Amino acid sequence: MKMREELISGALSTRFDELCRVRVPHIAPERFGEAAQFVSEALGNLLDASPEEVKKSSVSLNAPLEWMTSDADCFSSLRALCLGQQQELHKGQHPRLEPFLKSLDASRRDPARRFQLIAERYACPLNFSLPDEDEAREYVLMRLMVQERARLERGSVEAINADDLLLKLNLVAIHASLAPDLRFLDSLNYYYELLPAAWHPQSAQGWLLVSYYALYARALAARI
Amino acid sequence: MRTGILVHSLPAALDIYEEAKRVPGVELFVLVCPAPGDVGFRGLAKQIARLIFKSGRAGSLKLLAGRKVILFQKPLDHPDTLARLEKLKLDVGLHKTGIIYRESTVKAFRSGILNPHIGLLPEYRGRGVMEWAIIEGKPVGVTVFFVDAGIDTGGRVVLREEIQIPHCKSIQETKQYLFNLDALLFRRALELLSSEDFRCAANDASGRRYYVMSNLFQGAVEEIMRRRTMDDRR
Repeated sequence: MKMREELISGALSTRFDELCRVRVPHIAPERFGEAAQFVSEALGNLLDASPEEVKKSSVSLNAPLEWMTSDADCFSSLRALCLGQQQELHKGQHPRLEPFLKSLDASRRDPARRFQLIAERYACPLNFSLPDEDEAREYVLMRLMVQERARLERGSVEAINADDLLLKLNLVAIHASLAPDLRFLDSLNYYYELLPAAWHPQSAQGWLLVSYYALYARALAARI
Repeated sequence: MRTGILVHSLPAALDIYEEAKRVPGVELFVLVCPAPGDVGFRGLAKQIARLIFKSGRAGSLKLLAGRKVILFQKPLDHPDTLARLEKLKLDVGLHKTGIIYRESTVKAFRSGILNPHIGLLPEYRGRGVMEWAIIEGKPVGVTVFFVDAGIDTGGRVVLREEIQIPHCKSIQETKQYLFNLDALLFRRALELLSSEDFRCAANDASGRRYYVMSNLFQGAVEEIMRRRTMDDRR
């Protein structure tokens, strides 16, 4: 392995340990209401885990070659992916990207609408990593690393729509596990450093914080 | 070639002015425009304070005496400022502000506004591109190009070259080294633009946009740089 790759791998390994041994143990599943069972199971897979163990549990995280559909919605699919559960997927018709991007742009001041749009399109979250979704990925990455980052750095975490932010981080983490582009992985690194370690989102889908950590751990493990 | 150096303060223009005045046929102006939030009296007061307290006072006073300094009280895209820019009939602007220019401002310069970007275009657009090049194992370099309203997507490249940085030991030091090349790069770009047979290279904006890097990866970049410096010493 080249020196550069060794150093990157070493840095990611340090972060992985910190995530699984320092950040994750402070999360209390009972605070997540109906999602407590999922949170407990997801955290159990992460606590003191090694990168190899996390990699083994990533069997359901494979890059799709074409647009897939499933009977589950985005949230059930994300939970299943986090827990390494197999999902039944079917080939589907790839919906046009352009109207979606236009709607996203039109809702740039309406995070609740944006959240809904993203959750609907990526009901099968793996589709986010398809080559044809490149423009949508770049848009999501840009929103995370420009507007939302600036808002967080200017104010507090309470100033943002937690569900909208966390859903985007979940999707980016899926792509970071499957693609070599380091920018996506580093946006997760950045948010890990930016979000308060003790943050507990009081939003409807607050458990997305835990799925973000679980998928981030996979993205890290994939490169260690 | 009527050339305007766009700055927020006079001392920031001094090095560029000294280099650019060596290019035959270039007539220089220093365009001092307010930083965002520094318009009106507040901006003027800051300018006076800089003139009194900052280093380069003698050079600044010399520029003022030469009647080559134009102070704008309003933002660059304000109609009053645009009207004054139009009257100056400038060919080229040299970017040394913290502003992303609107199209109306860019169009006030016949050829456009030059930006010395510390990354190689089209591959490295956006922020933190120097450290991103290092972590991706690619060459570090600079590109002088005419800006448009996008992020490093301006289509005309005047100068693009790789820069060796073995003497630089940190991200901060490397960035400062590259930023300090701006006066020299502007002079070379103006020389190229002055030559009759020069044609700009194309920037097809095909590269990825990069963003500010995490502390984790910045640490890895610092370590890569430290080890390279040690290897070079051996």
